[in-house]
Amino acid sequence: MATAKPPRKLILYVAGQTPKSLAAIANLERICAQDLPGQYEVKVIDLRQDPKLAREHGIVAIPTLVRELPVPLRKLIGDLSDTHKVLVNLKLSDSA
Amino acid sequence: MTADSPSNKDLLIADLRLRLADAEETLRAIRENEVDALVMRGPLAEEVFTIGGETDSYRTFMEVMEPGAAALDGSGRVLYANSTLTRLLGTSLAELQGKLLVDAFAADTAKEIGRLLSEAHTTRHSREVRFPRGEEIDLHFIAVASPLQFGTTSGHAVTFANVTERVLHEGAEQSEHAARAVIASANEAVLVCDRNGIITHANAAAGAVYDGNPIGRIFAEIIPLLFHDSAGILQADDMIAMVIAGTPLRGIEATATKAPTVKDYLVSAAPLRIAGDRISGAVVTMVDLSRRKAAEKQQHLLTRELDHRIKNTLALVVSISARTASNTDTVQAFQKAFTGRIQALAATHSLLLASSWSSLKLGDIIRSELAPYIDAAADQVTIEDLNVAITPRAAIAFGLIAHELTTNAAKYGALSQPGGHVAVRALGRDNEKSGAFVLEWRESGGPRVTPPERKGFGHTVIARSLQYSPGGSAEFDFDPSGVACRVSIPAEDIC
Repeated sequence: MATAKPPRKLILYVAGQTPKSLAAIANLERICAQDLPGQYEVKVIDLRQDPKLAREHGIVAIPTLVRELPVPLRKLIGDLSDTHKVLVNLKLSDSA
Repeated sequence: MTADSPSNKDLLIADLRLRLADAEETLRAIRENEVDALVMRGPLAEEVFTIGGETDSYRTFMEVMEPGAAALDGSGRVLYANSTLTRLLGTSLAELQGKLLVDAFAADTAKEIGRLLSEAHTTRHSREVRFPRGEEIDLHFIAVASPLQFGTTSGHAVTFANVTERVLHEGAEQSEHAARAVIASANEAVLVCDRNGIITHANAAAGAVYDGNPIGRIFAEIIPLLFHDSAGILQADDMIAMVIAGTPLRGIEATATKAPTVKDYLVSAAPLRIAGDRISGAVVTMVDLSRRKAAEKQQHLLTRELDHRIKNTLALVVSISARTASNTDTVQAFQKAFTGRIQALAATHSLLLASSWSSLKLGDIIRSELAPYIDAAADQVTIEDLNVAITPRAAIAFGLIAHELTTNAAKYGALSQPGGHVAVRALGRDNEKSGAFVLEWRESGGPRVTPPERKGFGHTVIARSLQYSPGGSAEFDFDPSGVACRVSIPAEDIC
């Protein structure tokens, strides 16, 4: 019997089009395309549009990337320009 | 059941540790300038605050700027681009944002902008960049990059000022300078007219067709042209109208009737196209034909002269042939005598050709005829005072006489044996023969001379060749010590 792949989900919290928000979106797109193709479902949430969405993951600083699944939940703050740091944080989940 | 069971306590501590780690990471990110917005809990709900101010103010400012403008982060990514720039790049802000600006340009332009951004790391820099647009005229911009801080982010503000019109204008000015230089350096008269036939440019050579300043004047009025092959139907204004309508005219002969010196010209006219296909006037070039006409006249004269001379020469050859045949007994004798005489004729012709059929000196003719037999500079020949030039007519006749005298001397006379001598000298003018120039051929030291029993062709040639004029003659004296011949060249043939 085939086992379904465990769900993987990333949420990027941004604030409209601030320079670091734009950079984080561009960097995440690049990393997902180059290093993690097809591995994550990515959702971008603009807190400027709906600030109360920050509550769910207790977001204080923007931009913040949240790896929601697989658990445990992990947060990464900043514009994601350090690819190595991003990959280390995201791939830790594989062993979990 | 106790609330503080070890497992619950462990979980609580683990949760607190996780929260602490989150809080520490948030503080670190804020301190290290990795965030540019914060979520605050307000009295009613959460609010988002941008660190370093809102972006709306600079966006509004960029939007009202006339040049294309973009705000870039430190990596060259577009934070914002105004609508002038997005229109120029044929894209939208959504498409551009977060992308590298250089990726929106063609390769060469992208390279220039990349250089500009690296130059403008700490200070403002500018470069002229070109946007190629395929079939359409390229656009030219002055791109200026200045380092700028957007909130917590260091980046660049880049503007693109359109200078296409100025560049085109400069290009047009340079082209006009080049065109003026070309026109000025032309040897032919070159005149440029606008669509109304009014002269706008003229070079120095145009002074030959109009004595005055032609600029601002109507071409057809100041330079009326009479076209040779049009029977008066085509006038200068018709020509300009045809050319402006798009029909070029090439190499039509015309007379400039009002030119300072009326002359024939070869006129060509072509439509003037400055931008695209639109005809903005006419360029008329006028080549002076007077020298060519003179050359054609000279050539015509020469052709006629050549025809005349060939006919004369052929008549002379026929006469020599007939006379030689009547005075020789065998074919071999005829062949020898005839060939010798034709060669004498040819030698004189060669001398005449060398002097362009102008004149020949008597001494040169004698030397030419003696050449096959003896070196004229040798002891056996003395030539005195014969540096006298004569006309081609007399030269041909005298050439034949000299040939016969030389041949006789070599066969029977002074040049037939060692010790013989020929003296040719001028005797001066003979007033009884209207001033004819007289020279004497005198042989000595040869075999004893007896008058011939019959007069051969040689004698006839000598006696008759110069008789085309009353002043011309040649008489023999068969002195036993040596043949003498007195030759009179008609005075009118002395140059």
